[in-house]
Order: sequence, then structure tokens, then C-alpha cells
Amino acid sequence: MTSALDREPSKPRIELQFDRPHRQHEPRDQLAVRYRIEGCDGEHIRAIEHSVLWYTEGKGEEDLGVHFFQRITDRTMMPPTAITGAFSTPLPQSPLSYEGVIVKVRWCVRVRLFFDGSRDFVSEHVFDVGQIPPARMPVARA
Amino acid sequence: MRLPRFYAKKRGHRRTGSREWGVVGDGVFHATLLLAGLCFGGLLVSGVAAPEWRINHEFRETTGTILAKGLAKTTMADPPATVITHWRPCLLVRYSANGVVHESWSQGPTATTTSDREVALRRLAGWTLGDETVCWYDPEAPKTVVLQRGYNWWLWLLSLLLPGALVLIGGTGLVRALRAWGKSEEHRAASAGITELLDPLAQPTLAAPGYPAVPACDDLVNSPGTVLRYRLPIESPESWTLVGFGLFALLWNAVVVVLAVGAGLDLLGGRIDWWLFALLVPFVGVGIAGVTLFIRSLVFATAVGPTQLEISDHPLLPGGRYDVFLAQGGTGTFQTLTLSLELEEQATFRQGTDTRTEQLVVWNQPVAAFHDVGAAPHSRFETRAIVDLPADAMHSFTSAHNAVRWRLVVRGSPERWPEFCRTFPVVVFPRGFASPESASPPAVVRVRTASEEVSP
Repeated sequence: MTSALDREPSKPRIELQFDRPHRQHEPRDQLAVRYRIEGCDGEHIRAIEHSVLWYTEGKGEEDLGVHFFQRITDRTMMPPTAITGAFSTPLPQSPLSYEGVIVKVRWCVRVRLFFDGSRDFVSEHVFDVGQIPPARMPVARA
Repeated sequence: MRLPRFYAKKRGHRRTGSREWGVVGDGVFHATLLLAGLCFGGLLVSGVAAPEWRINHEFRETTGTILAKGLAKTTMADPPATVITHWRPCLLVRYSANGVVHESWSQGPTATTTSDREVALRRLAGWTLGDETVCWYDPEAPKTVVLQRGYNWWLWLLSLLLPGALVLIGGTGLVRALRAWGKSEEHRAASAGITELLDPLAQPTLAAPGYPAVPACDDLVNSPGTVLRYRLPIESPESWTLVGFGLFALLWNAVVVVLAVGAGLDLLGGRIDWWLFALLVPFVGVGIAGVTLFIRSLVFATAVGPTQLEISDHPLLPGGRYDVFLAQGGTGTFQTLTLSLELEEQATFRQGTDTRTEQLVVWNQPVAAFHDVGAAPHSRFETRAIVDLPADAMHSFTSAHNAVRWRLVVRGSPERWPEFCRTFPVVVFPRGFASPESASPPAVVRVRTASEEVSP
């Protein structure tokens, strides 16, 4: 028999669906997502955070810009009462997704679950804003 | 209750420190600074400020007679082998306190203390034996009497400044750590208000209204051109080199002059400090080399002549076509003079305790190239060219540690001089930009350095 204290923490899964195919959006588009939470195995969730943000990747320190943020603490809107959720936001005009050589800009939707105690779980879903082609390799100076 | 992990997984296979422990460490560090500031401030206030305040506010006035005068001598060890002596004028005063006559040596503010005995004697000469004078005694200890009141503002400033800085840095850091505790990085980044005040150094460059992470171009459009609409400001690496050489030459030679004056005074006094002379020789050599480098850079910068670049519109838009005016001053012939449009990525990162910045040109489009160009003092070389921006070009981007920058670059190879490179930054907005006046209000975006890890 396993007590609650020495039970392995659950491994939640969040299935998230974008309203547009290929996760391709243009600036000022309305972004709408629906998600479903599974695998919490009775663990108590005390808050859920929705966010739409961009972050940088590459050689530099990671920078982050949050465009949309929502924290839900209403127990009727989280498991086990409700295992699905949805939110939407208009996208800004910039920055556009960019695949550079040492700097990359990515957009993503994050759904973060806060369990009792200090544990949290975040599910990240990348999408594109704009259609900037990847940067070429560095130019060789003459 | 589960303790936070010391290590957390970052993207890919890299492992890095736990954010929770980072916040704890940050909080402990700033709490220590705050505590140190409070303790230090308390000691200074109780030891320096409070006694002086009591003299000025609580000591009672009376009249006394000066019976004797002298100098109080204080000697302090000054390792390795010397001592420092301080002198303080003291007066023996007879005065009446609460109907009781006292005779006591006066105590005054520490400002009257000096290391120069002659100065202390001159101060003492201002008092005459047998004179009646106003004095103030401590009602709680009537044997304590002073003949002068006032404040030593330097001590007050010191007692406020140093502990105040510690309290301010420690307090703001502690508040920042407490605000960050238990919050996700998205929550922290989305929190408005005091966070920006607590961490002003982490703020990115000012963004254009309505275009998050796109730098504002106000500084690039405030100079009208002579031929086209805007004159672009120059960003010349040679200018910074010149400033660097100039500052180095100035500071180094200031040190050399101080050493040389010391050596000269020694010589005049009939002493020769061989160690000082031995030190002076290489210092003079480096000083001469610094001045030579500065003069060489100055001659090079002025001989090549100024480069002027003007553009028909700004900010630039993807797919746009822009007229550019190039003017190159100087004397002699330029074997080549080229104008190109470049896209540069810049990343700032920490390597150990150092902060490094890497720049990389990822796109380069030649705009115009000229050969055997002649320029004279009164007839500079002038030309116009067309700059085409690709329709799918990335807009200018800037955040706290990363940037994507567009620039026009003029490179030249003058005869008899080394090649030069002068850059003119431009800002590219995303498509759809009309004008700064018609731009919609900005979305709620806060930029922060991410340190929290993301589970896969």
C-alpha cells in the first residue's frame, strides 16, 4: 500500500489545440486556443496560469515578453471540476518570429499548473507570428 | 513539503541552477546588506550623530570663566611603523550648573581635532585666560561642558550616505526577491509597477509605441538632411578608438606627471629615490606610446574626412525602396568606396563572471561601389543610390540581451591610409506601419530576463 506522502508525483499532460492550422498567425490576428488537462491523478491543483509570450533563444541570455497573462484560482474552472479550458487574445504587431543565427525569437502559449506545495508543471506550445524566412549563414568578409 | 531542487532542466540537455534557490540566495544576500546597513547606520547615529544632536538641543546654556588652556594629544598606530598624532584645543572652565560650581575641561565637536599642532595652537590662541564666555553643559552629566556648538555636516553626510546606500540596495533587492517568490516567470514579467523601479538596469531599450521590442527611432529622425529628408547619425568604431586612445593617453600621462613631480622635488631636495626613477622610465615610455597612438588615430580620422549619409524616409519598411545620398570628404584618392546594407545580430551573455557581447552580420547587400574616387577639401565626393529592402526582411528587434539591427555601412580604402568603416544605424519596422502618430497604443508587454526552467 502506498501513502499519499511517498507516492510518486503525477505526470500531467496538456493537450492544446490552436484555432488555425500549422500554428501560423499574422500580427494582430486573434489567437484562440483550447486545452485539456490529463493525468493529474487526484493531485490538488491550486492555480492555473495562461500566458502568450515571446522569448529569445540563441547565444544570448534569454529575454521574455509577456503579451497575455491570466491566473485562474477559481476551483470550478480547474480539475477535477473542469479539465478543459480556453482563452484568446489579439496578437500584437511585433516582434515577429525569427530564426536567426545567434538570435531567435519564438512565440508560445504556456499553460502552467500549480500543485499544492511548491511543485508546478508548465506546458509550452510554440507558434509562429509572421513569415520571416530563416537568416542565412554568416557572411564571409572579403 | 518538498524542498526546491538545486538543479532544474533547461531546454535541450543543459542543466542550470534552480530558480527557487536562486531567489533564496538573492534574498539572503540582500537581507544581509540591509542588516549591515541598519547596524552600521545605528552605530553611526548613536556614536556620532546623536551626541552632536544632544549638544545642540539638550545641553543647557550658562556662563563660565576660562581658567586654563592646553592641547589634548591623541596618538594612533599607523602600521607598519608610524603613528598619527591628533591635537584638540581644550579649556578648563569654571561654571555654575543647577547652583553648583564646576571646573571642567571642555569637550567639543571632533571637528576641532587636527593633526597639525600649529593649527591647534592658533585655535587655542583665540581664547584668553580669565575671559567670561558662554558655555553649555550636559544636564545629565554637569561635568561635561562645551564652548562651541554646531554640526559637522561631513559626519552627518557620511552617517547617512553609506548606510543609506546599503539599506537602499538591500531593501530593494529583498523586496524584489520576496515579490518573485512563488511566482512563475510569466507572472513576474506581466506584473506592472514597482518591478521596473526595483530593477531599472534590466530594462531594454525604449520600444516604439505600438510595436513591442522594436526600437524607437526618434533619435534617428531628428536631424534633417541637406539633400534628402533625414541625415543619419554615424556610429564609427574609429571614433570610439580615438576617444579610447585619448583617454588612455590623458590618464596615463597624468600619473606620469605626478610621479615626475615627486621625483623632481626629491632631486631638488638633494635626495634620489632610485626606485621611483626606475618606475618612471617605463611609465614615460608607455605615456609616449599612448600619445603617439592618439595622434596617429587623430590624424587618420581627420585625414580621411567626414562621411555623410542621408535617406529619403525613416523608419524603413520591408519591401520599401529608399533614396540614399552619400558624401565623402577628405583629400586624395579612395581606391574603393562601398555602400552596403547589413543585418547584424547581437547577443549578450555571461561567461563565468564576465558579460560578453557577440555580433554577427547575417545578411549583407551591396548597394553601390565606386573605384578611384577623388576628393578634395572644397569638393567632396557626392553620389546617390537606391536601397531596396527585401519584402520578407526581419524588422529591427531589441530586448535586454538580444538585438537584430539594420545598418548602412560605408567602407573605404584611401591611398596611403588604412581602410575605414563607418556605420549608420537604421530602424526597420514590420509591414503595416503607417506613421508613429497613427500607431495604436502598445499592448501590455513586460520584458524580463528569463531564468526559470521549462519542463519539456
